[in-house]
Amino acid sequence: MIFDDLRAIQLRYGFLPKAELEAFSQRSNTPLYQIHSVASFYPHFQLVPPPKADVRVCADMSCHLNGACELRAELEQRLGKSSPADLLIRDVSCLGRCDHAPAVSINDEIFTGVTAASAEAIARKAILGEAIPEPHPGHARVQCASDPYNSEEKYGVIRKLAATKDWDAVLAELKLSELRGMGGAGFPTSMKWDLVRKQPGAEKYIVCNADESEPGTIKDRFIMTHLPHLVMEGMIVAGLVTGAQKGILYIRHEYHLQKEILGEELRRCYRDGLLGKNILKSGLTFDLEIFVSPGGYICGEETALIEAIEGKRAEPRNKPPFPVQAGLWQKPTVLNNVETFANVPQILARGVEWFAAQGESGSRGLKFVGVSGHAAKPGIYEVAMGIPMRKVLFEYAGGIRGGRQLKAFAPSGPSSGYLPASMVDVRLDFKALAEAGSMLGSGAIVVCDDRTCMLDMALNAVRFYRNESCGKCVPCRVGSQKMTDLLVRWTHGGVAEKQYQADLALVDELCQAMSLTSICGLGQIVPAPVQSVLKHFREEIDAHVLKGQCPSGICFTAAAKAGEASRVGIRP
Amino acid sequence: MSTISRLPELVEITIDGRPVRVAAGTSVFDAARMNGTAIPTLCHLQNETPVGVCRLCVVDTGARVLAASCVRPVEPGMKVVTNSEKVLSARKTLLELLMADHPSPCARQEKSGDCELETLAQAAGVTQPRFLKRTVSRGIDDSSLAIAVDHDACILCDRCIRGCNEIKNNFVLGRMGKGYSAGIAFDLNAAMGDSTCISCGECMVSCPTGALTNKTVVGTSIAAGSDAEGFEAEELLQLPVFKGVSGTFLELNRGAIVKRRFRPGEIICREGEFGSTAFYILEGKARVSLSAPIAHVKTQGGAKGLFKKLTSTLAARDADVRSEETRDRTIPIDASVDLAYGNPVAELGSGDLFGEMTCMNFYPRSATVIAETDVVAFEMLRNVLDIMMKNKSFRAQIDQNYRKRALENHLRGVPMFADLSPDFIEHLKGSVELQRFAPGQIIARQGDAAGSFYLVRIGFVKISETYPGGELVLAYLSRGDYFGEIGLLGGGVRTATCTALDHVELVRISGGDFRDMVERFPSVRQGLEAVAAERATQNQQRMQTVRSVPIDQFLSQGLMEAQSLLILDLNSCTRCDACVNACADAHDGVTRLVREGLRFEQYLVATSCRQCRDPLCMVGCPVGSIRRRNSLEVIIEDWCIGCGLCARNCPYGNINLHPFDVMVDDLERPGRKKAVVKQKATSCDLCTHLKEPSCVYACPHDAAHRVDPRTFFSEMLGGGSSK
Repeated sequence: MIFDDLRAIQLRYGFLPKAELEAFSQRSNTPLYQIHSVASFYPHFQLVPPPKADVRVCADMSCHLNGACELRAELEQRLGKSSPADLLIRDVSCLGRCDHAPAVSINDEIFTGVTAASAEAIARKAILGEAIPEPHPGHARVQCASDPYNSEEKYGVIRKLAATKDWDAVLAELKLSELRGMGGAGFPTSMKWDLVRKQPGAEKYIVCNADESEPGTIKDRFIMTHLPHLVMEGMIVAGLVTGAQKGILYIRHEYHLQKEILGEELRRCYRDGLLGKNILKSGLTFDLEIFVSPGGYICGEETALIEAIEGKRAEPRNKPPFPVQAGLWQKPTVLNNVETFANVPQILARGVEWFAAQGESGSRGLKFVGVSGHAAKPGIYEVAMGIPMRKVLFEYAGGIRGGRQLKAFAPSGPSSGYLPASMVDVRLDFKALAEAGSMLGSGAIVVCDDRTCMLDMALNAVRFYRNESCGKCVPCRVGSQKMTDLLVRWTHGGVAEKQYQADLALVDELCQAMSLTSICGLGQIVPAPVQSVLKHFREEIDAHVLKGQCPSGICFTAAAKAGEASRVGIRP
Repeated sequence: MSTISRLPELVEITIDGRPVRVAAGTSVFDAARMNGTAIPTLCHLQNETPVGVCRLCVVDTGARVLAASCVRPVEPGMKVVTNSEKVLSARKTLLELLMADHPSPCARQEKSGDCELETLAQAAGVTQPRFLKRTVSRGIDDSSLAIAVDHDACILCDRCIRGCNEIKNNFVLGRMGKGYSAGIAFDLNAAMGDSTCISCGECMVSCPTGALTNKTVVGTSIAAGSDAEGFEAEELLQLPVFKGVSGTFLELNRGAIVKRRFRPGEIICREGEFGSTAFYILEGKARVSLSAPIAHVKTQGGAKGLFKKLTSTLAARDADVRSEETRDRTIPIDASVDLAYGNPVAELGSGDLFGEMTCMNFYPRSATVIAETDVVAFEMLRNVLDIMMKNKSFRAQIDQNYRKRALENHLRGVPMFADLSPDFIEHLKGSVELQRFAPGQIIARQGDAAGSFYLVRIGFVKISETYPGGELVLAYLSRGDYFGEIGLLGGGVRTATCTALDHVELVRISGGDFRDMVERFPSVRQGLEAVAAERATQNQQRMQTVRSVPIDQFLSQGLMEAQSLLILDLNSCTRCDACVNACADAHDGVTRLVREGLRFEQYLVATSCRQCRDPLCMVGCPVGSIRRRNSLEVIIEDWCIGCGLCARNCPYGNINLHPFDVMVDDLERPGRKKAVVKQKATSCDLCTHLKEPSCVYACPHDAAHRVDPRTFFSEMLGGGSSK
């Protein structure tokens, strides 16, 4: 496995020295180009010696709304005199700590809610070569309504199935429950499992996508911390039902703690005979392993994730064929999100009726949502599917911080686009949000108060996609950059009316081409944040572009302009 | 019946409303093509696995998004639309995106007008891309001799990558990086010329744009003579050395290789001539020799009087002994053999390659080669030579020839290795390694651990040391020179950086062999230690100088380079030219001094050899006859062939060519002699035959002085004395 070798080299030298890669190439008979194409793709791998303090400030939505720009600027000022060998300050894509923004990664350890002073202190320790372990916050298990085993013995569903082996009943139950994928696309789970089950051949795979990397998305982190047994059980059930004997849980490398918790759960399952050969003496086999991602948002795309497991560049495949037909190692593969797997034992343990009753207004089940940004109480909440967004924002998340007004919210990170405060009564539901021109997605609700510049937020979102594009296809690779360029030009203001009209037409053409021709969802969704702000906040955008005015009063200030050059965006 | 049942099932689909039937599994792209509908594409080639990355071949199949037709198999009942407004508009936007970053016209468009991107963009009406252009160039890579790489013109269609890995199985090319900064890379992102690329040309043939183009050599085709036989690509592909090379690539390089036949006595190439080709003998024998008289320029007449005409003549070494003349036993030439000093004649035969330096580095021919029997040889330009040299079996053969025939001479040519025993040389023949370096490539870096000892076989190696604020060239080493001993004998650390100046080939003797050698042969050890100590001292002195007189102007005018300057004090000089006349008189009417040059305050630095610290004149001498004495004075050895390269290389115009009438063997009529004019290079010799340089002696106003610039300028400028 190429990643294991690269990790071993990097652990030893701190980066990947050329001579070591050449030796590895010889040893493993892997062409040099292949090693380099992989090593240069993933952010986890370093091809040059890293500085003593590698400081990466999260630049995405929630952290951006919580002063990441200012934090970075101040850090650069405070640590400006350090040599490049000692210190490197750069942006990093969402670290998955949106509820404790701003987050900063220093030498791969993640610190949350940092201030310039606290980050500086840690960076200085790193420069001196002192240990800087990531603070592991206490993680006493939180009782969740969705856990059927709060008082009972865990893994009851498997215990039952090991005896009955009634797979048809499982599929029927899931079908009846209308459970849909919780990763964003919302594909019916029973249908996916059934398709894999019906595929010929004995070699099949179950893959759990725990690579949540979309800005604002933190719910899987919570589920893996507090309900790891439900994720495991869901995967085992999927294996038993479809006949797959191997499962892989693909987790993002920034989730150190969750990897440990899951690893512990995994060992417990093996010890208790819930995994491995002859599960609970039923004669059934299912093995599970945890695969740590070498990084990148694109790895969350299902086929890119499969490519990554196969040790290649995480570039999405052309579909069809779909993973249910030809997935991991070209074999039929069930690929579901953490929350989807966690839902399965809930339904099977308590029945479809219970599941249906959990939702409101015709929606079903419970949903974990992450609320971040300008929320008074950012965090992860277990809510009934179908409740109004207003309830999530104002009852669960305590409204807007500092008593300010709600201006906009993204129902699911940048991919869902931004909806105006006037639409806050939209229900948390697949269909309702789709009708509102948005999506339920992964439940990554990001809240913006009235001092948020929506052009800045559109640029922030597009820039995230630009940074995370794998570069495989033209529309996404080139289009995301050109879209960023265009928005940057807009943010400077002073664009002539005629030019602005031409730009708008160009944006429209570009959005069309990107969503129609990109290989995967990343490229297809890049237009969403831009289109949404043009739709809902047009006056503000016009004023910004044409008159150089920021109605929210945050751009065009002297301070904003002073720090502008160092990064793409309005604010320093 | 059984055959029919094995035929693939037919699937019925409609393309732009027309029903068509194609075999199941056919791509929509092929289905359309077979039925007369051409779909544009950039990343798809019929002989490569489709990847669907350019997205230009998208069609509407009625789904939410468009489908890339090259990777989409037909499905029963599929309704394909290839030309709707939606499809055409999306394609046009894709072309506009690519064109925004395209260096239009790219190399391919310029050369042959067939850049596929530019052609499609033009057809779609994309003229002025409205998107902002790329701001940071992805760079060009000029390191390969056969293929030019312009990363800015790369559209990441992956065609080259599939050509390299899928078609030719060379496994050199891949994608690197991600997103907008992604690109193609050779090996671990090496320059193409330094990579394991074997120049098969498949990538270049596959490339749709000017990202990978055939590199033409100055005067692409070899002037065809009656004796030249051109090749068709098919013929070349039959030859083992071109196995695995792309036919189209060879087709493009047609004319860069010819087969020639020489009759006995016919001249294959002449010493001193400039050229750009190498020869590879297929059949027959040839004689390689030097026809220039082995002699140096001597000024006669003595110091009898200033106004008496002096004459320069050619003098043999025995007749005019000069101090520190090298005692090399061989003259290095551009072939797999060296020539013995006493008898500069050798034989070349089948399988020998010669003219490599001329071909790769455009240096003058180092010797004359005459056919002894009927000779059949390839003559080729550098791109073809490069293709051959990258062929593993050909390389192995050339290496083998060198080990067998030239290594011993090469080693013995270095005086201090003369005592090596035959058995040790036999051992070295098997254990040394031949290494190639591209121009600019670093061979060893100052401060690195010293591991090996090197002999220069081909090309020039620059030895330099870094000092705060710059780099000082310590020496240029050419064929027959060696380096690496200071590190091995001393602290085990490289004391200087060694860089290939042009195409360099080195003989690497491992640290282990080196230790054995110095242990077994005390004389070698003593010799090497003496040289190492001397070089170290010289290097230190030079560094000391640089450190102590850090005067920008002084350095930037190149005066610092000089060891000895002729300066004219303009306050006393009356421009009478007595110095120039005296120089001419002292040197057979050819002046080696021009009263022009750089001014430094009231001093004019006359154009006269400065005995530079960075003696560029030494770079490129095809026979290694220009070098320094230990006093750092430049000396031209007696086997100078008069090619004039040093004169051209001297940045100060201080080397002249002095013509002489001499009798030489008539090559056309063996056994007879004929009178010809031969040139020899000369530079200021400080009138060592006189008491004082004649220019200085002749100056009636005491304005001309020969000075050591270090002393002179540091005193003049006050402070910073180097003493």
